[in-house]
Amino acid sequence: MTTLSKGSMAALIALAVGILCLALEGVAPWLTAFPKGWVLPATEWVGSAMEAFLALIKPAARLFSALMAYPMEGANWILNVTPWPLLIAATVALGWRLGGVTMALMAAVGLGAVLASGYWPQSMNTLALVSVSVPLALLIGGAIGVLANEYPRVRAPVQALLDVMQTVPTFAYLTPLLVLFGFGPVVGLIASAIYAAPPMARNVLLGLQRIEPEIKEAAIMAGGTRMQQLFQVEIPAAATQIMVGVNQCLMAALSMVIIAAVIGGFDDIGWEVLLTMRKAQFGASLLAGLVIVIFAILIDRMSGTLANEKRRYYDGRVSLGLIALGAIASIIFYGQIQDPGAYALFNSTADRVDAGLSAFTSANAEALTAIKNGVMFYVLLPLRIGLDQAVLPFTWGFVWTSGMSFTLFAVGAAAGLYCAYRGKLTLGVVILIAAGMLETGISQLPWPFVLVGVGALSYVAGGLRLAALSVGLLTTILVSGLWERALLSLYLSGASVFACAVLGGAIGLASAVSPMVWRVVRPICDMLQTIPLFVFLIPVLMVFQIGEFSAFLAIMAYAIVPMIRYTRHGLTETPAEMIEAATASGATRWQMMRDVRAPYAAPTILLGLNQTILYAFAMLVIAALIGTTGLGQSIYLALGQADVGLGISAGAAMAILALIADRIVQGFAEERRKALGL
Amino acid sequence: MSTKTPPAITCQSVWQVFGANAESALNRALSSTNSADEAAAQLRAEGLTPAVQDATFEVQEGELFVIMGLSGSGKSTLIRCISQLLPGTGGEILIEGEDIRTASQKRLIEMRRNTLGMVFQHFGLFPHMNVAENVAYPLRVQGMGKKERLAKAQKVIELVGLGGREKNFPRELSGGQRQRVGIARSLVADCSVWFLDEPFSALDPLIRRQLQDEFLDIQAKLKTTIVFITHDINEALKLADRIAIMRDGKIVQIGTPSDIVLNPADDYVREFSKDVAKGQHARVASVMQAGGDLVHGPDDPGLRRDMTLDAALARCMELYEPVPVRDENGALLGVVNPADLAAALQVDPAA
Repeated sequence: MTTLSKGSMAALIALAVGILCLALEGVAPWLTAFPKGWVLPATEWVGSAMEAFLALIKPAARLFSALMAYPMEGANWILNVTPWPLLIAATVALGWRLGGVTMALMAAVGLGAVLASGYWPQSMNTLALVSVSVPLALLIGGAIGVLANEYPRVRAPVQALLDVMQTVPTFAYLTPLLVLFGFGPVVGLIASAIYAAPPMARNVLLGLQRIEPEIKEAAIMAGGTRMQQLFQVEIPAAATQIMVGVNQCLMAALSMVIIAAVIGGFDDIGWEVLLTMRKAQFGASLLAGLVIVIFAILIDRMSGTLANEKRRYYDGRVSLGLIALGAIASIIFYGQIQDPGAYALFNSTADRVDAGLSAFTSANAEALTAIKNGVMFYVLLPLRIGLDQAVLPFTWGFVWTSGMSFTLFAVGAAAGLYCAYRGKLTLGVVILIAAGMLETGISQLPWPFVLVGVGALSYVAGGLRLAALSVGLLTTILVSGLWERALLSLYLSGASVFACAVLGGAIGLASAVSPMVWRVVRPICDMLQTIPLFVFLIPVLMVFQIGEFSAFLAIMAYAIVPMIRYTRHGLTETPAEMIEAATASGATRWQMMRDVRAPYAAPTILLGLNQTILYAFAMLVIAALIGTTGLGQSIYLALGQADVGLGISAGAAMAILALIADRIVQGFAEERRKALGL
Repeated sequence: MSTKTPPAITCQSVWQVFGANAESALNRALSSTNSADEAAAQLRAEGLTPAVQDATFEVQEGELFVIMGLSGSGKSTLIRCISQLLPGTGGEILIEGEDIRTASQKRLIEMRRNTLGMVFQHFGLFPHMNVAENVAYPLRVQGMGKKERLAKAQKVIELVGLGGREKNFPRELSGGQRQRVGIARSLVADCSVWFLDEPFSALDPLIRRQLQDEFLDIQAKLKTTIVFITHDINEALKLADRIAIMRDGKIVQIGTPSDIVLNPADDYVREFSKDVAKGQHARVASVMQAGGDLVHGPDDPGLRRDMTLDAALARCMELYEPVPVRDENGALLGVVNPADLAAALQVDPAA
């Protein structure tokens, strides 16, 4: 008998455990539902420990928060008192300086639209928050990045910390901040500074490490002290990468400031979206959302030019002229300038959107419901609770019988056997496992099977260490009593990731094959990546109301982008020599795609999948606002009740799921890269 | 030779070992055996990498010392030990008599500002500074005022033939121009010991030859002590006063160019010199049988001890009359002058 491959072995073990669990379901119910008695009150422990800790540092935190109130109010005052013509002129001037006519026009049109919408004062409040939190984040992030570069010993822990900060959902650390700083805009400010610091730190460290060694050596040999080397040579030489960090930092801060409206409840643009959304004024909500998008795009494109290596500065005198013009206009018309909040040019449009939307939804109610129910009943529900419970006369028109279960397994087994016969044992076993999961439903998988299955997968992807890590972390979720909610989250994010992978992969492939498609897809991708998470909810809500399907769509809209980008990038970046060699061998276009480009692109596409998973988890929590169950909902509830224990535990569980998925996919990608010798 | 001034560079049993606890492992290995080879083998067996093994040599003031070897032979590591870009694991390195391995951080910075200069293979130019700022940087770290340092940099920029390019950024220059900037920067602080780490390897052959010639001119003007790294035997032979050949971290031979070509220490060195046009590098002295009473023919083409073999051959050939060239049937096609034969075999002496 030939020895089994690592993958086949792992799959077979998982299959055996799965069958055992299904067979013993009747005898030992604790196999499917983890017994309540075994659960440790970890949530409460975390809660009381954290509360004790928070109480300890609370005075310092409150002091800090009181201190931060000054610059914030200062920024607020400046932005609100400055006449809007001057502010617009200054932004246009900045746009000109950074990106010439295009950027200046963009600024003028964008801010003009904001002014006309009547959301000017709210926007300024949001900007005031951003303008204080960003310098804070840049300072913290920059310092962390430089320190991690200077002291190699702290580099690994810092990297790990940044990884965790990226996977912990945003709402999760809002709860302890809430307890520390109390309600109010300062919490949003601090949350956004914390959220925006890691990308800065990451890019500073990356930039400093990527400097050619000879440049560093040249600085040493020139006789510079360490400080001279760092500030005169290394940091300026890493400027491009650091500017990428600044760009990401700005975007993260803006996104978080808007999310923080959920707790902030003060007069900013995120609050406006939330308020109108709750009142089902979708026209107004969309308008406020568009204002956010305008700011996001302006900030992104302007700061993006800084990270462009070949950037040039446009004539500063034009900028000065523009500012002077704005100032003069402000002075001359000072008496006549209308309160910027009073403009409401788009309100009628918003109302019409509302009316049109109602008309549209009621006219197409049947079709929309059919889509929604179709996906719910035939895809999402079976995935969630399994065919044996999802198939009901009410939805499918018949009752699921044990005979059908048997048929399903028989078909699965037959397909599996066929694959095994063809020499693809692993694939065969995986098909059989998939049939079993379809029968049971993800949220009701027996816990021993999940542990063993994930352990086996981790082992194949990254060896024993990863397997131990995955199983260990999953066990903490299991005993902390968050298991069921974790499986619910896993199901929804799993379904979205799967849909993203299929759809995004297809779009990526189409974009790779046809430049025309890419020309259409690319700006959409750019747009989707710039929009703060929050805004994704609005259009989905407008059409499909609150519910799991809307959440599913919102997650997909956000998480599909990396899949498209990486797929296309991987498929188009095949080295020219390989393409030439394949062409010279007489390969057709599709043979080239299948035999050369796709295998070469595999590691890149896997990285795209990895990003998609992380994005899906990030959006899962935001989507809890419009109705999902699982960990996201718990985190959101904890926020409402200021329940630190639940908030942190659920956040940690979410981070654990994301972390395990991340490591497994990275492991596979790494293996592919090695196999290709990259 | 005078013994008063110490050699510019002295390396005594220098080791650079990479890996965990390299220093204690090296001490253990050296105390257990007297042979450097055995010590290196022991280190390898422990999973460490002895990149430079037991390097011992002296470089005299004003000497142009070339270290040659293939990639991975440890030559770049060795030059980084001497310049203290790497700490070194064992042995003694003296720069103008001063132990650089035990020098304080402060003293090290001083030495780099006043004594040592270095040129890098990929130039190591600062991308955010223009040519003038790059060249003036070693003066900037010393705290020299802007006007003064730019004026000083200007002179060196002229010296390397980059006048008029002061305001350009590195990305706007060709490879050859970039390396001129690198050379200018390393010269601006009037260093007395000059390290060049494969300075011309990244350049096109034509530019390389041009820069080699200019480099020799600069060296003739400045008379600095030079340690020059290369993997190109022809470059080494062309430039060097003495050559050290490295293999797998060991120095296998040190000698003058004609030593290396005519008396290779082992097959490895012989392999290197195989493709070398020996006639260009070896002198008459190296094949001459010495003595006053030796028998010789009546002709005297006027050979001298320090002539290259190529030149000597040409002189000898000039003694011949033109000789005939025929087709397969023996019919006369033309004549050849033997001196022309010898001349045709010679590589352009400038190469």
